[in-house]
Amino acid sequence: MGRGREGRGDTAGLSALVSRINIPDLAFALFLVALGVLAFVFSADLQVGRAGSMGPGYVPRGLALIVVAFGVVMGVRALLAGGLAFPEIAWRPLLLVGAGVGLFAILLPLAGLAITSAAVVVLAGYAAYDVRHSENLILGVGAAAFAVALFVLALGLPIPIWPQR
Amino acid sequence: MDLFTNLATGFAVALTPANLGFCFLGALIGTLVGVLPGIAPITTIAILLPFTFALPPASSLIMLAGIFYGAQYGGSTTAILVNVPGESSAIVTCLDGHQMAKQGRAGPALAIAAIASFFAGTVATIVLATASVPMSWLALKFTAPEYFSLMVLGLTGAVVLASGAPGKAVAMVFVGLLLGLVGIDVNTGVPRMTFGIQELGDGIGFVPVAIGLFGIAELAIALGRPQDRSLLSVKFADLWPSWAEIRACLPAMTRGTVIGSVLGVLPGGGAALSSFAAYAFEKKSSANPERFGKGAIEGVAAPEAANNAGAQTSFIPLLTLGIPGNAIMALMVGALMIQGIQPGPQVMTSQPQLYWGVIASMWLGNLMLVILNLPLIGLWVALLRIPMRMMFPVIVLFCCIGTYAVANSVFDVWVMLLFGVLGVFFYKVGAEPAPLILGFILGPLMEENFRRAMMISKGDPTVFVERPISAVLLLMSVALLVILVMPAVRKKREEVFQE
Repeated sequence: MGRGREGRGDTAGLSALVSRINIPDLAFALFLVALGVLAFVFSADLQVGRAGSMGPGYVPRGLALIVVAFGVVMGVRALLAGGLAFPEIAWRPLLLVGAGVGLFAILLPLAGLAITSAAVVVLAGYAAYDVRHSENLILGVGAAAFAVALFVLALGLPIPIWPQR
Repeated sequence: MDLFTNLATGFAVALTPANLGFCFLGALIGTLVGVLPGIAPITTIAILLPFTFALPPASSLIMLAGIFYGAQYGGSTTAILVNVPGESSAIVTCLDGHQMAKQGRAGPALAIAAIASFFAGTVATIVLATASVPMSWLALKFTAPEYFSLMVLGLTGAVVLASGAPGKAVAMVFVGLLLGLVGIDVNTGVPRMTFGIQELGDGIGFVPVAIGLFGIAELAIALGRPQDRSLLSVKFADLWPSWAEIRACLPAMTRGTVIGSVLGVLPGGGAALSSFAAYAFEKKSSANPERFGKGAIEGVAAPEAANNAGAQTSFIPLLTLGIPGNAIMALMVGALMIQGIQPGPQVMTSQPQLYWGVIASMWLGNLMLVILNLPLIGLWVALLRIPMRMMFPVIVLFCCIGTYAVANSVFDVWVMLLFGVLGVFFYKVGAEPAPLILGFILGPLMEENFRRAMMISKGDPTVFVERPISAVLLLMSVALLVILVMPAVRKKREEVFQE
């Protein structure tokens, strides 16, 4: 692993300081601390009990503390022995795939499976960098027909096909 | 009951037309996702899980198992023809398989991969059948402390196998354990960490977590990578390897099968580890190791045998003790629990049809695969020509419908989205999700056994080391962790994950 050795001596500013932090590790550490604290706070009103007869709060609180401890140790290490930038995120696939899932959750109760399926496939289709408009549209309609045929007609899932009035 | 009556029971179950159909369907879907890079068997199993609710337990497990070992067959096809592993356990098959294809020997490489897989599948089925008797005897000695320690060992194994920093993998286990505890406490009926959300009363859904982490996140990550598929073509007539080639492969196949069978049973083991180990062993023990990486046929036979053997024997801890050794087996636990079956040693006696039916179906599935795969090679190649952009939107849709269908709950779809985004975050910070899902599944089970064990011992934690089986299991976990932090092993491990 290449640990930032070049920031030795001359340039002392903020950028040099940042370049010495392992940002992915720090991000993960902060996530752990946040999750652990959240879990600890939300299990605060649960009875802890004793080791011989544990209450519902014993194990959650113990685990929450362990998770926080991991976060703290990892965070300190990330600050000291670092020098790694956060990797680039491919935003387009992430946002559009996510948007497709969100659209499904919002649209399904309103519009039924057929319309929702076509809309989700078309929207998610734009997550690909090499999307083609007409092909994507056909794919959406085809996928909707397939989903209705397979899941509702063949497998009998209780999902309305069309908008309910 | 002896082995043969048991196997007869199994085949009676597996040979019913319906179960043969599900076995075939599973093997076919498995091959399909194995062939297609970017869709892992774990993703597929997660997506198909909700649709198995309506099936009888045996049929459901027969189909899901078929996906797992079917993918081992399919993965090699892509590895050999495209030099891209169709799935993770086929990574080492690329090394020599693709070289063979470049030298115009794609046919024999594909055929040997299939033959080695079938050979290993047959042996692993026998291992699975015979191992169950001593394992069930051992299982009778298991009480709360032993179960707890066994799960500790399973989680340790998952940590050792996760790529990246071991510390992150351990942290992920604890995150999984913590998330697994959300919901109403079974002992007291008190809701825990539910934020007052009614839908969380039964806990965070297993299916949305699994599909989010392994389906949605994987897709979002795969789409961000450049796609490159230059195919080498192959004709059915060119498939047959020469007799000399088969003979050269036989010892490699046998060694691969043994390595795979052993590593598959270990907690944290499974297909991918087995194939790496078998390839490394073949290269080390070869009289002329310089041939490896340049189209040595043993370099295809050994890992392909090993990954299939490992895939199948990783069912042993699941079916006999009810403990999942890897993330895919964790999904199988989910499948069983959804069916109302609590996995554990009692499954073998209370559900012999399920137990032996699944084992028998594995051999039948392997037979179908070896017959199917080679003649249909043209079809798989054609599938590889379908661009990713035409497949993934439909997979996104299936993820949504699958998650929704578990409980007709839009809430679960939002949970899936959350875990999809989290999955991308985990990938970017180098934390693997497999330990999390194992911890998530084992969380409630571990807590229950921990609380029970501590209640019996009146709060004395030494109970875990005073009982011999439990002590041995914990010692093995400690040994694994010690080995992991040893500098030499650590370096080697990084090398393996680099390849």
